[in-house]
Amino acid sequence: MEYTHKNLIHIKTSFTKDLEKLGYKELKEKYLGKKGLVTEALKEITSIPSKEKPIYGKEVNTLKTFVEDNISEKIQENREYASKPKIDPTAPFDINEDSQIYSEMLSLEGSKHALTKEAERLLSIFSSMGFDILESRQIDDDYNMFQSLNFPKGHPARDMYDTFRTEDGLVLPAHTSTMQNRALKKFGPPPIAVVLPGRCFRNEATDAGHEHTFHQIEGVYVDKNVSLSNMIATIKTYLERYLETNLKVKIQPAYFPFTEPDCEFVIGCPFCNMSGCSTCGHSGWIEIMGCGMIHPNVLKEADIDPELYSGFAWGFGVDRLAMIKLGIDDIRYLRESNLNFLRQF
Amino acid sequence: MRLSTNLLRKFADIKVDDNKIVQLIQEHIGEVDYSHDLREDYRDIVIAEIVEKQDHPDADKLGVYKIVYGEKEPIQVVAGDKNLKVGDKVAYLKIGSVVPYSILTEEEPFVIKKINLRGVASNGMMGSARELNLGNNHARVMVLPKDAPVGQPFAEYYDLNDTIIEIENKALTNRGDLFGILGISRELTAILGHKFVSPDWYLNYDKYLKPEDTCLKLRVVNDAEAICPRYTALALDNVHVEESPIWLKSTLIKCGIKPVNNIVDITNYISVLIGQPLHAFDYDKLIKTDPNAKDTANIIVRMAQPEETILGLDDKLYALDEETMVIADSTHPIAIAGVIGGKETEVDKNTKRIILESANFNKTSIRKTSMRLGIFTEAATRFMRNLDPKQCLPGLLKAVEIFKDENWATIASEIIDIYHEEKDEVTITIFPEKVNTILGTELTINEISTILENLEYSVEIRNKKKETWIQATAPSWRKDIEIAEDIYEDIGRIFGFNNIPIKLPEKEIKPPHKNSIVEIKKSIREVLSNSGANESVNYSFVGIDSFKNCNLDNNLAYKIQNPLSPELSLMRTTLLQSLFQKGKENLERGEEAFVLYEMNISHLNNYVEENKLPTENWYLSSLIVNSVVDTNASPYFVAKRYLEKVFRSLGVENIQYDLISESEELDLPPYIKNILNIFEPNRASIVSIKGVKLGIVGEIKTFVKDSNKLPEYSGAFEINIEDLVKIKPSNKKYRDMPIYPTFTKDLCFEMPIETKQKSLEDEITQTLEKENLWYKVECLDIYSDEKLKERKRITYRVTASDFNKTLNDSEIKTLTSRISKKIEKDYESVILI
Repeated sequence: MEYTHKNLIHIKTSFTKDLEKLGYKELKEKYLGKKGLVTEALKEITSIPSKEKPIYGKEVNTLKTFVEDNISEKIQENREYASKPKIDPTAPFDINEDSQIYSEMLSLEGSKHALTKEAERLLSIFSSMGFDILESRQIDDDYNMFQSLNFPKGHPARDMYDTFRTEDGLVLPAHTSTMQNRALKKFGPPPIAVVLPGRCFRNEATDAGHEHTFHQIEGVYVDKNVSLSNMIATIKTYLERYLETNLKVKIQPAYFPFTEPDCEFVIGCPFCNMSGCSTCGHSGWIEIMGCGMIHPNVLKEADIDPELYSGFAWGFGVDRLAMIKLGIDDIRYLRESNLNFLRQF
Repeated sequence: MRLSTNLLRKFADIKVDDNKIVQLIQEHIGEVDYSHDLREDYRDIVIAEIVEKQDHPDADKLGVYKIVYGEKEPIQVVAGDKNLKVGDKVAYLKIGSVVPYSILTEEEPFVIKKINLRGVASNGMMGSARELNLGNNHARVMVLPKDAPVGQPFAEYYDLNDTIIEIENKALTNRGDLFGILGISRELTAILGHKFVSPDWYLNYDKYLKPEDTCLKLRVVNDAEAICPRYTALALDNVHVEESPIWLKSTLIKCGIKPVNNIVDITNYISVLIGQPLHAFDYDKLIKTDPNAKDTANIIVRMAQPEETILGLDDKLYALDEETMVIADSTHPIAIAGVIGGKETEVDKNTKRIILESANFNKTSIRKTSMRLGIFTEAATRFMRNLDPKQCLPGLLKAVEIFKDENWATIASEIIDIYHEEKDEVTITIFPEKVNTILGTELTINEISTILENLEYSVEIRNKKKETWIQATAPSWRKDIEIAEDIYEDIGRIFGFNNIPIKLPEKEIKPPHKNSIVEIKKSIREVLSNSGANESVNYSFVGIDSFKNCNLDNNLAYKIQNPLSPELSLMRTTLLQSLFQKGKENLERGEEAFVLYEMNISHLNNYVEENKLPTENWYLSSLIVNSVVDTNASPYFVAKRYLEKVFRSLGVENIQYDLISESEELDLPPYIKNILNIFEPNRASIVSIKGVKLGIVGEIKTFVKDSNKLPEYSGAFEINIEDLVKIKPSNKKYRDMPIYPTFTKDLCFEMPIETKQKSLEDEITQTLEKENLWYKVECLDIYSDEKLKERKRITYRVTASDFNKTLNDSEIKTLTSRISKKIEKDYESVILI
């Protein structure tokens, strides 16, 4: 017992010395490895008389914890990572390097992301129709997200948007409409034709059909004599161009504080010719976006005279459109960065 | 909002079938969540009478019954309910019928078959409330009233030949008037082109005000006028609390409301009809718990006091505060106004006298209370949507009328009506030209006014000189109508949005403005994806561990007040956090070598604009890993090569790389400072162009690699795209091509190991530039070993050609020695070839 007790003290002393000298890997190896000093001391217990076992067990475990804690602290403090020798940052390759690896890496199977690829396509369609592009913010304030859009404080429709807020009281936009006021001011006076793509957030649990993070494209069109009829035709036109097919469309009433009238845009399912399939939930119709004539209060807030001008706006999810088009059945794949997924597009 | 088509038809003569009603609601009123035709569900279910009862010979819990429903021979049915008596009327599910409950809950509906239950044959089933989709009780067979006619189809008896429609509440956010059958019937009638007239009891309730005996004393005080515009109430005596009759139960069940007893059910029935929530208090309980009551029941509408609590009808105790409006007696709250009643004054089977309340509460106040306490009752749902105070009395009186007709109660007090009427009637001028401009229609003034009249607007056509217009006043229940556009919507909806001919806008032919960021991202995407890199898109949210693992300061991150989980509680401060995490996950899936990149925005809370909003820059970040390569070389160089591909494709030149360890930290922008500790200071550099610091490229620190389980050969970069856009690409001009044969000469120099290759290369090109030659310089090899100690050898291949002649050997030699001499002098260098 005396011997083994001394041995433990000895291990502790030597560890304390080594702690300054050795890297964490060597320390681990020397003390906690298969034949490490602490590991050996632990095995020792079998040879201890049974009445002394509890005392020894306690001591050896204390030592083990001590060693482990110190090693992990060392990792934490980053002390073990000695800086590496300098390289020549201006060189095309390292000293003695065989540059074979570059051609290997460069010949990997690269890919654009399904979402950005579809968004790119959509934006190029909008560009060809004369729409400007203004990308949306990802952290915004209450004024742009709600107030400027005719949602005064305490408005019940605010509940429809499960918004994330930062501890500083800022808002993570729940729709790209958060850019409407800025866009109207930036591109005004009318005519204004602009699309507002960007990342949006909703505080809702995720599953195959729902994400807390998604990509939207908002559109805003303001001019003299702009009508609901113009809106339906515009949306129908770009959707037909994007989906490369003729569409049957209808609109349904909805409610948004920032449009009046407010509508839901519905397309006849192009995948089953409206006979019912999994994409359209066997109804033959797909609700694709909210839209409507911009509320006069929203125009006024951006210094546009609603007596003179009228306009329409829409907002749709690129995720949903891309999923429909590419047959992706789980929205979560879009932000999982699984190479098996990424390489497909 | 749930309703049934039979109810709709009670208010309006709707001459279309149920499917059409669903379609019309969907296209003219709002999103239909779901609709279901009940007729099929109850096929082959009839009312039967029990004529014989026996115990099961082999099972204690089963009863063996014989029933009749018109067939000659009684039918034997075994049931798990032994409480049924001979003479009980039940709903009998014949063999081949389907259990209604299973239709909506099971993939394969449950079809009744002839079975043997422990040796006794059972021919069909007697339904429980749950099985019949009429309640929750599934332990007992549902016993029907004594007078249920034997043999009648059950659906007919229970009024189930009906269609249920559920309209999405969201679509009706501003339409309190559509939370009653009356409102939907009105809209449907107008949609079908007819004029709707609200029932007399709803519009002209005054003439129904006939107090009878006024023996009970009731005192109401409204101390919350600002948010309780109207409070009406009266007391009823001789109350008989009993189970509701079938018609009432059926109506409520179809509208998704659980029947309780006749008194409570009628209050709910009024809410179903016109959207006006009523509440019944037990008069005697109210008197009993109020020490100041004597013989008068006190009702006080007021704000709650701090520390007051109430036990709700849902048996939950709620802590109230000064923002909660309550109904109280003289001492304490007895209900949370418009949200939920109190247990203390609940109507139960012993109730003899009641106070019936029909009030109007402010939508914002109710919404706040409902959200704060998490109570979402039918009443709160309706009050939140702004109801018409005018319907308090018709609601109250309609309920009283039913109580009297059914002999369930008698009037026992004056009708109390505290009404702070605010004139909110707005008359709006509608110009038909404007309607047609906004909608894209060609409606005449008469067509427009008909649509409005059909919705019970009061309409006046006026004209002056050549102009005609409409003065329209919305009915009092249309709290959503504030401006002309609201009326245009009504016109468009009722006319039918889908009847509008569509036409693209007329627009000037004008190209859109250039968006440089969008364009540059497109180019970057093109070049990287064609160079073996995979674009990824990742969450903006990360957890605290990510900061630890990446050596980042989490105090610089925006924190989410209401995160979905701890792993999603902070906004990333660099895209690299996501790439490292995703890199690790892909390695775990068995990937060995890959390049991931992302272009997105990240946020730092110490990097904000004047308006306190964070500066939002677009960044390009990439992670390059190879877990199988066998090399001692730094991954810095492969990362840099990817970055240079991007620069070259954008035409950006003169890029400067300075090791982090040799750079001043002070003058770095915050987004670069933030990521400094991710990189190995001797093996990563600050990338700058013309003094603009763009970002960092290099080898990842061992600690960060280890923490993220990335392999030894892991490099990364992150650059600010906004700044990249500002750098003008070099103005490319045509350069003459070689005419005479080119010569190639390899030059090898030995020099101190810390000499920068770039400066050497620049020296060579500068010398060549002066000679007026076509030339190319390529670094072929960099070598060092122990023998060379702290020196290295760099080999260049120079290719050149004169524009006037073929250079001979001696001329070439002169040229190369000119290069070498300069280098020998300036770089403590030795020329080897």
